[in-house]
Amino acid sequence: MQIEAREYEYANDYKVLIESYSGKPEHLLAIMQDVQKHYNYLPRLAISMISQHVGIPVSRVYAMASFYKAFSLVPKGKFIFRVCDGTACHIKNSATLLDQLQEHLGIEVDETTADGLFSIETVNCLGACALAPVMVVNGKVYGKVSPGDVERIINEYGGQSYASQHKC
Amino acid sequence: MKIMLNGQEREAREGETILEMCRREGIPIPTFCYYQAFGGQGACRMCMVELREEGQEQTRLVAACTYPIKSSVEIITESERIQRLRRTIVMLLARRAPDNPLMEALARTYSSPRLTAIEVEPPNCILCGLCIHACEEMGRTAIWSMFRGIDKRIGTPYDEASEDCIGCAACARICPTQAINLEEEGSTRRIWNKTFELVACQRCGKNYTTREELEYLWERTEYGKEKLCESCRKKTLAINMKSFQQ
Repeated sequence: MQIEAREYEYANDYKVLIESYSGKPEHLLAIMQDVQKHYNYLPRLAISMISQHVGIPVSRVYAMASFYKAFSLVPKGKFIFRVCDGTACHIKNSATLLDQLQEHLGIEVDETTADGLFSIETVNCLGACALAPVMVVNGKVYGKVSPGDVERIINEYGGQSYASQHKC
Repeated sequence: MKIMLNGQEREAREGETILEMCRREGIPIPTFCYYQAFGGQGACRMCMVELREEGQEQTRLVAACTYPIKSSVEIITESERIQRLRRTIVMLLARRAPDNPLMEALARTYSSPRLTAIEVEPPNCILCGLCIHACEEMGRTAIWSMFRGIDKRIGTPYDEASEDCIGCAACARICPTQAINLEEEGSTRRIWNKTFELVACQRCGKNYTTREELEYLWERTEYGKEKLCESCRKKTLAINMKSFQQ
């Protein structure tokens, strides 16, 4: 596994986070969740450090990280727009919301803007079907979002430059 | 204990699996994911047989490789129901491994219809898990099953050369569909995106293993530090035995 040199700058931060757990194998998932929470993704160096800490081979830690959708293997933006595409939201035209987001931010689903500010993700159901179509930004829920709201929501997170850039 | 196997009374050892017993009795049961040294995985489902428990009228389907015989049961290894089941399994697995000789032979045996192949990575992999098991038994665990659902595949982290891989090729040798790409050219071996230098046997000169595997074995076993391929090791051992007896 190749680890870029600049990742080692964070080695100490990862270490503190990882070593706040005992090295028992059953803590693997909890450690991974914690790292994901702090960095919005699982850096390569962190995966290798976690593997050593709990004594589980890197391949298995990576396999677990790739299995759960809650983990990301690539860096994510500071703000993650999660658009629900469950049945109810789909019928309520979540696809249009996605299109709007993609157009405004100039990225596709599962991508991150070059400045590392925004990411777009879809989620199969948030369990808030009464609010369809639903979108969640870093834990804040937006219900009954209309296509016209998208730009405003992006602006809330400092995305003005994006919105104006892509306006026709 | 006495059990009924295809209508005949047979002796079974308590706790052995149906598959073990059938292999001992010479009754063929097709398998993909079974390897004797590892025991059953119950992954490929090819070994399904019909089982009737005492006092039961209906039979039920069980995986022969993982079902331990614990009471006098009745086992049927060939029936219309089993044929149908295996036909479906081969039909579906053949989509992943269309050009595989074993799969073709089984498709003929069970007259499985041929469906359009789907692209999988590595090609011909049916996800039986034997390679993972072999790698784990070697004590390396360089490969595991990554992602999930239709994206599930066997690989190394980030699909890169893994520090844990010693190039022993145990995975490639055990693969029932020869799906693992093992390239050997001159004195180099390439497997799982990693290139290894091969070591020659000191007796016959054949390139037989990688330096990494040899060093790993030296470290873990009490063997002398000799470089002997499998057949030369046997020969040397036989010669030593002979002189020992004399």
